[in-house]
Parts: sequence; C-alpha cells; structure tokens
Amino acid sequence: MADSVNITVDGRSLQVRPGTLLIEACRAAGIEVPSFCYYPGLSLQAACRMCLVEIEKAPKLQTSCTVPVAEGMVVRTATPPVVEARRSMLEFLLGNHPLDCPVCDKGGECELQDMVFRYGAAESRFAEEKRHIPEQQWSPVVYFDAPRCILCYRCVRVCGEGLDVHALGIVNRGGHSENAPNHGDHLECEECGMCIDICPVGALTSGAYRYKARPWEINYVSTICTHCGDGCKTTLSVRNNTILRGNNRDHSGINGEFLCIKGRYAYDFIEHPERLRHPLVRKTGQLVETSWEEAIRMVASRWKEIPDHQNESASSPAFGVIGSNHTTNEDNYALQKFARVILGTNNIDHHRTADFPALIAALSAQQHAAAGVPDGPACLARSRDLAHAAAILLIGNNPTVQHPLIAWNIREGCRLRGTRLYVIHSQQIPLLRQSFRFLPLRAGQEVDALAYLAGELGREEKLLGRTPGGREITSESLLDFRNRLLAEKDVIVVFGDEITGQAVSLLVRMGSQLPGHTRYLGLSDYSNSRGAADMGLLPHLLPGYCAITDPLARSRFEEQWKSKLLAQPGWTAEEMLAAIRDGRLGSLYVVGANPLKKQDPLEYRGKTFLVVQDLFLHETAQAADVVLPAACAYEKTGTVTNTCGELQRLRKAMQVLGPRSDLEIFGHLAKAMDAQLQPSRPDEVFEEIRQLVSGYNVPLSQLMAGEAELAMPINGFLSPSEFPGNVSSSQDHLFTSGTLGRYSQTLNIVPEGKTYKPPDPC
Amino acid sequence: MSAQFTLKLEEKFSTLLSRYPVKRSVLVPMLLFAQDEYGFLNQEIVAEIARRLGLTVLDVEGVISYYSMLRKKPAGRYHLQICTNISCMLRGANSLFEHAQQKLGVGPGEATPDGLFSLEEVECIGACSWAPALQANYDFYHAVTLERFDQLLSDLPAGRAVPDTPPMSHTEHEVQVLTRRFDLPNAASIDTYLAHDGYRALEKALRQMTPDSVIEEVKQSNLRGRGGAGFPAGMKWSFVPKQSSKPKYIVCNADESEPGTCKDRLLMQNDPHQLIEGILLAGFAVSAHQGYIYVRGEYRYLIEILDRALEEAYARGYLGKNILGTGFDFDLATHTGAGAYECGEESALLESLEGKRGIPRIRPPFPAVVGLYGGPTVLNNVETFCSVPSIILNGGQWYASLGTPRNGGTRLFVLSGHVNRPGVYELPMGFPLRKMIEEVGGGIVGGKQFKAVIPGGSSTPVLTADALDTPMDFDSVAKAGSMLGSGAVIVMHEDTCMVEAALRIMKFYAHESCGWCIPCREGTSWLKKTLDRFHSGGGRREDIRLIEELAKNMLGKTFCPLGDAAAMPTISIVQKFRDEFEQHLTGQACPLEGRLELELASE
Ligand SMILES: Cc1cc2nc3c(=O)[nH]c(=O)nc-3n(C[C@H](O)[C@H](O)[C@H](O)COP(=O)(O)O)c2cc1C
Ligand code: SF4
Ligand code: SF4
Ligand code: SF4
Ligand code: FES
Repeated sequence: MADSVNITVDGRSLQVRPGTLLIEACRAAGIEVPSFCYYPGLSLQAACRMCLVEIEKAPKLQTSCTVPVAEGMVVRTATPPVVEARRSMLEFLLGNHPLDCPVCDKGGECELQDMVFRYGAAESRFAEEKRHIPEQQWSPVVYFDAPRCILCYRCVRVCGEGLDVHALGIVNRGGHSENAPNHGDHLECEECGMCIDICPVGALTSGAYRYKARPWEINYVSTICTHCGDGCKTTLSVRNNTILRGNNRDHSGINGEFLCIKGRYAYDFIEHPERLRHPLVRKTGQLVETSWEEAIRMVASRWKEIPDHQNESASSPAFGVIGSNHTTNEDNYALQKFARVILGTNNIDHHRTADFPALIAALSAQQHAAAGVPDGPACLARSRDLAHAAAILLIGNNPTVQHPLIAWNIREGCRLRGTRLYVIHSQQIPLLRQSFRFLPLRAGQEVDALAYLAGELGREEKLLGRTPGGREITSESLLDFRNRLLAEKDVIVVFGDEITGQAVSLLVRMGSQLPGHTRYLGLSDYSNSRGAADMGLLPHLLPGYCAITDPLARSRFEEQWKSKLLAQPGWTAEEMLAAIRDGRLGSLYVVGANPLKKQDPLEYRGKTFLVVQDLFLHETAQAADVVLPAACAYEKTGTVTNTCGELQRLRKAMQVLGPRSDLEIFGHLAKAMDAQLQPSRPDEVFEEIRQLVSGYNVPLSQLMAGEAELAMPINGFLSPSEFPGNVSSSQDHLFTSGTLGRYSQTLNIVPEGKTYKPPDPC
Repeated sequence: MSAQFTLKLEEKFSTLLSRYPVKRSVLVPMLLFAQDEYGFLNQEIVAEIARRLGLTVLDVEGVISYYSMLRKKPAGRYHLQICTNISCMLRGANSLFEHAQQKLGVGPGEATPDGLFSLEEVECIGACSWAPALQANYDFYHAVTLERFDQLLSDLPAGRAVPDTPPMSHTEHEVQVLTRRFDLPNAASIDTYLAHDGYRALEKALRQMTPDSVIEEVKQSNLRGRGGAGFPAGMKWSFVPKQSSKPKYIVCNADESEPGTCKDRLLMQNDPHQLIEGILLAGFAVSAHQGYIYVRGEYRYLIEILDRALEEAYARGYLGKNILGTGFDFDLATHTGAGAYECGEESALLESLEGKRGIPRIRPPFPAVVGLYGGPTVLNNVETFCSVPSIILNGGQWYASLGTPRNGGTRLFVLSGHVNRPGVYELPMGFPLRKMIEEVGGGIVGGKQFKAVIPGGSSTPVLTADALDTPMDFDSVAKAGSMLGSGAVIVMHEDTCMVEAALRIMKFYAHESCGWCIPCREGTSWLKKTLDRFHSGGGRREDIRLIEELAKNMLGKTFCPLGDAAAMPTISIVQKFRDEFEQHLTGQACPLEGRLELELASE
C-alpha cells in the first residue's frame, strides 16, 4: 500500500496517510469541518450530519467522519450546499434546544453555542412550543437536562467503549429518544464524570460545579492529581483561592481527556473543616493548638535532647523517619537528606506499594548482561505505551479500580489496535472482559505461574486443579497460555504487589525470554510511590537506588552534601515500629503517612517522641506529641513520578491558610536544629535531583510545558539480592484514597463507595 | 429480582437459542413472547431475560422502548389496534377511531375499566386494500364499519369473532406467475406445492447448474428488488464475495410496513414454499448455509404458516443437511420483529435481527460484504425471492420478456384508497397507471374526480392527472418524477385534503424515525407539528415555505433513506398543491374537513 494518498480539499493538495478519515485529514490541514458526534477514538456514528461535505462524483453530500481518503479525491467544504446543510442542522437542533445559555454551566464553552455563532441559524423559524422536561439528578455528581441534549452519543460511547461501564444508553425512539441512566432514574457507575466532560453542550453537568461559576471568571492551573499512582494531568478551575472544578481541559499530557472520580472531584478534601490549620502539641495529655514557632522550637529542643543523635549504632538508634508516597520528589529528596545528614540516620522508609528496588535491580542486572544491546535500557513502559502495545501481560492488581488510567489505556489498545491482553489472576477482575487469554489461579500462586512460564520444571502440578470459583486448570490450558505468550513480540508486563522480591527477578527473567523488546510496569499506589523509592526514602538505598553500602555511591552524595554518611543500612518501617514498642527508638518523624492506621495506638503512645506532619489528624497524628499541618499537592509546586516512572510537574493552585509546605517545614526544623538544609526552593532542589539522581537528568522543556518525561533510574548499581522490607498495596479503589479519601466529600457521598465489593475469586 | 420463566417460555427460549450463532438475537422475539405470556413486560421478566442473555437491564430497556409492540404496562384482554394511516384514512379510519373512543369511553392508549379492551391508534398494519382495518391482539379484521366494530365488541369476548384472511384479487389483465397456485385447495401445503412445480427449480439448480449460472439467470431476468429501491437482484447477489472467513447469510425482508403495502402478506399466506424455495436458490447462488425470514411482529399468523411450511420442508429434505442428496446444506428460520417500520431498512433489520435497537448501519460496507453477524449477506424482499423459482425454471429471458426493458416480470400491485375495487393484483411490469386505476381498480369511488396518486407506497412523491399515462415500471415512474417503490398505488379523489394527506404521512415518519440522526429526528417532528397546526387553521403564510424548506433540508442529508422517504412526498405535495395550502390560511378549520366518509369496497 502506498504510504500516502493525494487529495484536494478546497483547492489545496494534501498528502494524507491511507485510511485517514476525511474529517481528520481536513482538520490536520487546518480546514475546519464541524462535528458533534465524531469523536476521535470512539466508534463512528454519522448521526449529527454536521460534517457533510461535497465530494466530487458523489451524488449527494457525504459525511466526512465516515469516509476514508482515497487517491484523487476532490473535496469541497465551503460551498453553498455545505454551508446550508450545516445551518439547517443547527436550525433543527435549536428547535428543541432551550436557549438558556446565560444560566447554563456550559455557556462560554459550549460547542453548540460556538457553532451557532459561526454558522448561523440563531433565529428560530418554528412557532411550536419547545419540549419541557425538568432537570434530573442521576447521582451526586451527574445531572441531566434532557432538552439540552443533542443526542451525539458521546457520553454513551465514552462510558461504554472507553470505560467499559455501560451505564448510559438511549431509550425510546424518534423524537422521544433520550439518554438514560442504568438504574431507571439514577446511575450506579464509576462516577468518573467522563460523560459530563465529553458532552458538547450543557446536557450533562457536574454536581460539584453546577451554577458555581462562569468560565471566564476562572483561573486555570494545570497540575497533577494527587490520588493514585497513575498521575493524571488535571486542570483546576480556581476562583478566589477556591478550586471549583477539575478536568484535563486541553486534553494534553499522558491522560488526554481521562480522569476518574478522584481526579475530577476529590480535590475537595483540601477545604475539609477538619483540615489541620495550626500546629498541635501535646500538653497534659491533650493535643492543643499552638504557633508554628513554638511547635518547631519544641520539636528541635526535644530532638537535641536525644542522646548521641549524630552517632547512632544499630542497637540503640535515636531516630526513625517514615516518609510519604504522596509528597513531591523535592520533599522526599529533602526529607531523606534531612534524615541522613541532620538526624544522622538511615532509618528511613515509606509505605512501599510496589517493589521498585527489586524491579530496578533486576533490570539493571539484565542491562549489565545485555550491555550493547541497542534497546537494552528502554525497558520501562510509559502509560501511553499500553494503548499501542501488541501484547500486554497483566499479573495481579485490579487496574480498573486501582489504576484507572492504566486500565483506560489497556482498553484503548484492545479496542482500537487489537492489543492481546494476557491476564494471570486469582480474581474475576473487570479487565478479563478485554483479555485474550486468561490464566486463573488461586491467590498466592502468581509466582508459581511465573516460574512455569519461565520454564521451571515441577511448577505445572502446583497450578493444576480447580480454582475456588470452579475453573478447571489443565495442562492444555496452561500450555496454550504459555505458547501464545511466548510467541508474542514486544510485550509490556504489568504487575502488582503479588510480585515482589525474588519474584521480580524471576519475572524479568521470564520477560527476557520473550521475543522483541519487553517492557515492564510495576503498579504502585498513591501519587508519588515511585518518587519516594526513586528519591531514596529507603533504609538501604540512596536516591537513584544507590546502595548505601557502596562506598563509591556514598562518596558522590557525601561530596555534594558535604557530610559523612553512615554506611550501615537502616531500619525498615516495620522495624522502627517494633523498636518503638520495645522502647528502643528516641523519636519517630512521620511525614505524610499513617503507619499506625492498623495498629493499636496505645502500644505506641509515650514510648517515643512522635512528630507527625500531615493534613489531617489521622490515627498516627492522634498518637503524636507534635503535629505539624502540611500543605497538599494542590498547594505546592514541585514534581511527582507516577507508577510508570513518568515525571510531571505540580503547580500551586491555591493555599489554605495555616499549613506549610513540607519542604518549608524541613527548612524550619533544620534551622532550629542549628543546621542548614540547602537548597530550599523546590526548583533548586529539583536541579540537585537532576544532577545526582540517576534517571532524573531529563530535558526540561517538555516538563515545563506540562508534559511528562520518563525517569529511568536503571543503573546497574544495585545487587539484586538486597531488598528488605514489606511491599503491599493498600487496596484503595475508585472511591478511596488513603487518608485523603476519608476527607473528600465527593468520595463519601457517592453511594458506590459504600457498596464497593472487590471482585470474586475466579 | 428476577422471575422464573413459564414452561412454555422456557421451551421457546431454548428453541430460539438453537437458531442463532449469537445469543443476543433471541432478545426481540423473547420479549414479544414473554409479553404474550404475561400481558406486558414487568421488571422481573426484563431482568431475567437480561440476565440470561448477559445484557444490562438498560440495554434491554433500550430495546423494549424502541419497538412499538413491546409494552411495560398491561393492555386490555383485547388490544384493539386501529390503523389510521393513509390508505385506511382515505377509507374513513379517522371516523372509526373516533367512534371506537366514544363507544369504549377510553382515549388512545387506555383500557376500559373492566380490563377487557384497550385502544391504540397504529400505523399501517398491512391491510391497506381492505381498509379500514384493525387488529385485535394478533387477529386482523378488515373493512370495519362502525356496525362491524360494535359487533366485534360483543363477538370478541364471546369467542364468536372470526378473523379475516385477505383475498387475492383478480382481473382480466392479470399475468399469473407468483400467484398461480393461490387458488388451489390447500395452497400453502407442501403437497400442493410439489404437485405444481414445487422445488423443481431447486432440483434443477442443485443438479444441473452452478452457483454462478443461477446468478447469471437472475441477472438475465431483469428482476429488480420488490422492497422499494428496485435494485437488480442478480447484481446484488454477485457482490457477495466468493471467499469469506465468516459464514454467509440469506435474509428475507418480510417486514412489509411501507404504508399502502400488503402484498408480501398474500405471498406468505398462500404460497410459503415458493418463498422458501426462492431463499434456497439464493443460498445456493452465493454459497450460504443459513437464512432467516424477518417477519413484522404484527404478522403473527404468517409466522405460524411459515413455521409449518419450514417444518414440512425439513421433513421432506428440502432444508437441512445434504439437501436432495447433493451435499448442499441450508437452514432457515423465521424471526419476528416487534413493531418498527425502520426495521424494514436493510441494515436496521440486521441490527434488529441481532437483538438490538433498529438503528441503521453506516454504509459502506454494504450487507452483501458485511452483513448479519459481520458475514456477507443477501437481503431481499419476500416478493423478490418468490420470483426466483419461476425464473430458474423458465429462464431469465422468459421472465424478462414479461415486463419492459430493464424491468423484468410481473409484480404484485397493491391498489388502495379511492378506487372501487381495491386489492392486490399481479400485473406485468410497465402496466399503465391509468388502466390500473380505471380498469383494474374499477375507477374512482362514487364517480368522484381523481385528484392524486401515490404510486409506490407513502415514501414516494405524489403524481397528478398529468402523469396517469405512466407505465408502471421503475424507470418510467422515475421519469415521471416519482418512484415505483413497493408497488403500493394509493389513489385519492377530490374530497381528499392534501394538507391532511401530507400531515398523515409525516405523522407516520415522525412516529417511525429511529431518532438516530438530527435531520430526520428533528425534521419529522417539526414538520409534523407544523403541518398539524397548519391543517387545523393555525397556519402562517411563511409556513408554506418553511414546510418545503425543512423537507428539502432533510432530503439527501439523513443517515438512512427514511429521512428522504419523509421529505419526498412532503415536497411534492407542497409543490403540486400549493393552492390547497393557501386555502388553509383562512384561520378556519380545513375546508375539506370530514369529507372522508367511511367507505367500503363495492364488492
Ligand atoms: C425506511 C425503510 C423501510 C423499508 N421497509 C421495507 C420493508 O418493509 N420491506 C422491504 O422489503 N423493504 C423495505 N425497505 C427496503 C430495504 O431497505 C431493502 O432495500 C430491500 O429489502 C431489499 O430487497 P429488494 O432488493 O428485494 O427490494 C425499506 C427501506 C427503508 C429505507
Ligand atoms: S460518570 Fe463515568 S461511569 Fe458514570 S455514567 Fe458518566 S461516564 Fe459512565
Ligand atoms: S448528554 Fe451530552 S454527550 Fe450525551 S448524547 Fe446528549 S449531548 Fe451528547
Ligand atoms: S434518517 Fe436518521 S433518524 Fe431517520 S431513521 Fe434514518 S437514521 Fe434514523
Ligand atoms: S392498513 Fe391502514 S394504511 Fe395500510
């Protein structure tokens, strides 16, 4: 097939890739062709008839959204019949469309309004009454105004094809046709608001945003969602220091138009009445409000009293630090530096939700082995790669609820590009509907399955038999799965917390047996789990996965930080907690984490000097001696790294009065400890990260423009044998998000949050 | 919550499931059968059907609310459906419907308090030549006078009412090809069929011909589609790819819903094996092994006749595996619709057959290449298939010679409206229109003046007296500015208000628009509203232009031809009867109001 065809549009000659739809060809050349129902990536409808154009030799006007370009095609997009057709379609629509633009949420950004402005038909020639149907509330976040609906079917398709939820559909016929929710008068769905976002008019509106503002009064701040590990870009609509709305307005970045309920609505924890606005200190057993000065002074003086804090030996450590998986890279980098340099401890950790150290180690080892192989190092997958993959192997996790964007991209690949999805799972996860091959197993057998695929003998027997859900696993089904998979080229391997430690090496070994270029994606919770690991919130690793025991690596950091570092790995979070229970830890500093959530606080109260820095008074904060109120991601600048390793920039949208940014608090504490924590501004810290942290020396221009850059900290420094500590997902789903989720009004009012059940075993 | 199926329904369900390669196809028939069983579709039964088919309730609700016959509220024990569409209207259906409301004391869509009767105004039910007509549940009653209506109200509950089966009409001008067995005793039985050439064409094809030579013969015959568009059948068959990774299908369009059309009904009622044989020949010609006859839901008695015939054909080895020992396999089944004119459109029909809302498909690809379940599909009208056995038996040349150039054979013309002898007549293609009205139809009723004629079903532009010399074949009628369409000739005399005719026609299309595309959905409903206001005296002068322009704005711009079908008659009526529109501008009710008396055929 030729790689381009020649067409003529309005007298201009264009060269276009064969198979391109005429409407896309025109638009790419800057020739305007209006449409309502055509939407890239969704199935073709040809229903709105706005895109009609003249094609030479065709007996009548043709819909450019359904016609692929053909060699020699001569097209006209602005002749009187075309112009008249557009005008008349608008006239037909306006016959029933209420002209309430001044009170409609969509006023000012409505596609219908724009088109009427451009193509005319504002004068109604109809004498009849318009349809009146009262507005309906379909869910706490979705409202529907039927007369405004122009039946473009975008919402139905995005919910069905894009999300695989199928919560919307058309009922009735002819002029009575109407968009309807899946439960008669209400929706039970993912409440993602994608339908609202994609609606070209004001028919679907958001419960969160309705009647709150007019588009032109708003300041738009594009930043990154702070909830899950996927790191969707979102534009916050801000007025008077208040966030009114979240949407990815210009559809740029890694997520295009996608956002889930959390990205779109769950910024609302920020002004929750229980948000901490003042530091708290414990006085006569009670936490009482105090000033920042007093709180900082109190922490520093207690810390200074702790004996030998610079001179720790593993048996009687003075300090422990537990960092966060949702603070910025700059915060995390500064925190581990604070711990290692000022507190003089390697007892630093965070809640690990994916085994990135093991993955980086395994890939580094593989890189060593394959040195010189051209695509050797590029072995981490980016989120958009999933939508273009030939094949994907998913082991564990439930991306639909834990990684909505990852799931969205996987579905896109399966739907539009024939991606073959292989799933190894113990549950009936929703993505099975897209799967090409499924290997069901009993929970905990993932490693056996991997070993089987890697060709280890004796594993098959362990997998055979019946799953709890009654599926029969036979030698043939196993063999079929293995043979198919092993024949796939360029597979992306996606795995959850079912695969950790040595199993990750096994995974990479198996992956390296596949033909082509295998890429990996470890799924982690929260907006910056990956960044926490990359920045060295780990007892045994410096930033960039440099072993603390490696003198060469240590000296690089010692030189930059002008301080001697301890060579001995520190304690993991679990070890720190155990030490507190035994009365062996002088002080624990917890930043943006809630390690006592599932513990009995009484076992910890008074056994250590506990400092907690966070947004809310969660379980750990309640047991604290000092609580420092921190700013959240929407109140900060800085960078975060998503589960794929994509680095993106946060921009400050607003600020609640009282809390301070983590970086700023570290600076105050350092000063009060008579030390210096330099640099102190986020951009300066980021410069240092770029210089010192392997994989982070990315070009800046894309990042500044709001796009993502892949951080690939594969360095060959780490030996795959050392990875202490627990790795476990918190199993947050679409309607929860750790502590933040508990304080989001939206996540609490949608009923689906209460009724959510994990998938059945398979 | 979901319900248990009754035993009968359970049986239906498993029979249906065995008919289709895709489970979802059973949806529409299943809903209709469940409704027959329970009176209406309650929430539990909907949920149960959805569950069994792996569909969401919303998806099923979308389907239910698409089809006119499916209902979610109980109807009366006798659901009286009075047709008021154009042919019945010309014969006084409006007064019948008025009368029925008064007599029963209920409005449209309501049931009598005792639950015995419910009343509904319906679109064309395929009884146009025997107007005015109604259906009580699935039973047809023809030529319903006010007295007959009253009688029915007592006969129905007493079990005394005898439903009507429509007769074939005869004329000295007729040429009997399709209808030659109609008057034989036991015409529908396989024995009668076999005794009169039955399945001989199939034998000939299977034993002596190749698939290509069958297609060639049909091409030679100049057989053009009888469903409406008049596309050459042989050519359509030749578009089916020889090699296909997906199974190929033959689908017979027995949705017969074009207002004014009631001919396929007679073909299925009187000679079902002729249709089966025609479908088998098409199957052989394109190497398909499965066929479906999609019958409009209202024609339940015909489905029963067809099912009996299919059973006979299976029993005698004309269907199934290794037919006549030739190694040719073919399975054929009926499939019921559930009330939707749009499902007669070929691609919407395929959607419906796949268990979905009858929304047409984007074309290309055409069904011959990508059709049912994505496989290449030959889709033709009942009458088209019925013509094939004679063509194979007697040769394409012979068939072609019966008609005019490029318009082979005979066809069933449906005469309705203001002629003395309405009926279905088999006449050669190219039969003159004037002669059809005056001699075959016996002239205009009451000796009144002819005013207009719709030559091919309500979708075609009206013709006036100056076009009466047109020969009735596809090309000549096109030259006269209209279309031969489905062969439904609807005659209107001087007392017909053409504004009312335009309104009634538009009311139909507004009711039947699937609603998919903007110009048809909005255009038909605005035109209906505007014409309604205009006809009842509220017209503004600028409305005349508006009506014409709106229709023109639809024409050629809609997703499927239904939009054109609504626009074309409207444009022609405004253009040809502008004076009648102007006469309505007095602010008074229509000048011809109430002139269409209840009129019955004179014999
Ligand atoms: C709105 C609409 C309704 C139609 N209804 C019917 C119908 O009831 N019966 C029919 O045979 N064809 C009907 N047709 C025509 C079919 O689309 C199709 O052309 C025909 O069935 C093909 O068969 P033929 O070539 O044998 O005529 C309809 C077309 C349209 C656009
Ligand atoms: S909110 Fe999301 S899941 Fe719910 S109907 Fe809209 S698109 Fe579908
Ligand atoms: S609600 Fe909006 S997106 Fe959905 S069909 Fe109507 S106009 Fe289109
Ligand atoms: S023209 Fe459009 S709305 Fe009308 S029936 Fe066809 S697709 Fe449906
Ligand atoms: S049956 Fe009434 S118009 Fe055909």
